[in-house]
Amino acid sequence: MSQPDKQKVLYRETHSSRAVAASLAAGLVVVLCAYGLLESAVHAIGQPAWLIEPQTAAERLVALPSGMPPLLLGALGAVLAMIGLFFVLNAVLPGRRARHVLNGHEAGWSSPAVVVDDEVIASALARRARVAANVTPEQVMVVISRRQIVVNVRPTSGVPVDEAAILEAVEGELGEMSLVPVPEVRVNLATSGVIGA
Amino acid sequence: MTGTPVLLNRILVGILGVKLLAIGVFLVLLSTVPAVATWWHSWSEGAWQGINQAFNSTRFPGRPESWLWIVLVLVTLLLIGLMVAWVAQQGKGRTNLLVSDDDAGDVAGEVRIGGGVAEQALKHALAERPDLAGATVATYAVNGRPALKVRLLPRQGVAPHLLAAEVATLVDALDTVVGKRTPVLIHIGAGARTRFSRAERVR
Repeated sequence: MSQPDKQKVLYRETHSSRAVAASLAAGLVVVLCAYGLLESAVHAIGQPAWLIEPQTAAERLVALPSGMPPLLLGALGAVLAMIGLFFVLNAVLPGRRARHVLNGHEAGWSSPAVVVDDEVIASALARRARVAANVTPEQVMVVISRRQIVVNVRPTSGVPVDEAAILEAVEGELGEMSLVPVPEVRVNLATSGVIGA
Repeated sequence: MTGTPVLLNRILVGILGVKLLAIGVFLVLLSTVPAVATWWHSWSEGAWQGINQAFNSTRFPGRPESWLWIVLVLVTLLLIGLMVAWVAQQGKGRTNLLVSDDDAGDVAGEVRIGGGVAEQALKHALAERPDLAGATVATYAVNGRPALKVRLLPRQGVAPHLLAAEVATLVDALDTVVGKRTPVLIHIGAGARTRFSRAERVR
């Protein structure tokens, strides 16, 4: 037995395992099966049906567009299609989580594999940007996506803010983190300032 | 890290989704497009005849019920069992043993170290840190080999790379105690506990 593959472990940590969708799907199938089981068991021992006789249900199904208001039928279909779409998208989309890999270039287990939630990176960068811009925490907002980091700063009215200094500070911190994939940084200075901060 | 069957999840969820989507779209078409309704009538009549035929020809001798109902019950039971087994696969993979090896000494036998050793040691070392709102350590079996997962919940503003480096030295110390390098995954996460707790100001 060899050591587990580090890249594989990191891939599994940064992508959704779809456990929730899978459990929902399994629960749905179990509920449907349980109902079918009940009706067919009741029928097999010759007792009256619980909700609807299978025979009647099938006959209604065959006669479908008639015997049911078209609006209700359409709405039912739309709801079913929505649920189906939820499951399909869950299965087809790559399922990336809002996480980045730290020091992801090192192969092997000589150092631990590190995965960081984007929220943690954002709060660390916001702190760094706040210190560089010399503003309060409420005036900085950092938005992180997979390949881009946007630092929004609202300067204090009357106090100039050095955009280049903020960019340098944030990029310095990012360089120390060495994230994978590497995001690019953009600093947005708001045109209107905050009074009395 | 866990033994969740990722590919199986995708395939089964996808199959269910496509089926539901097809039924839903079909119902919408049935209620709006008359041509679909006439087609459905002609097709479903034939199918219904076939099913009726099957049920009629499989009656118990001397009784009105068909034994196809028993088959249906067994099939649904099997399906329910499979679904329960599928759910049971999600998130499994926890293990109790950190090391289970022959120590190559004169004494016969095996050395076994429980996962609790690493979990307790790391948890205790991390419990005192003021920049952490919480930490959990768990042992998993990955490809049959034990591995540790350390989940850290730092307070707002803590630099993740410095935290990771410090935990890495703790892991190194643990490895020298255990005498074997264990694969470690550090997950630095955020949760409700970090979001509403005070920010870390010192450091």
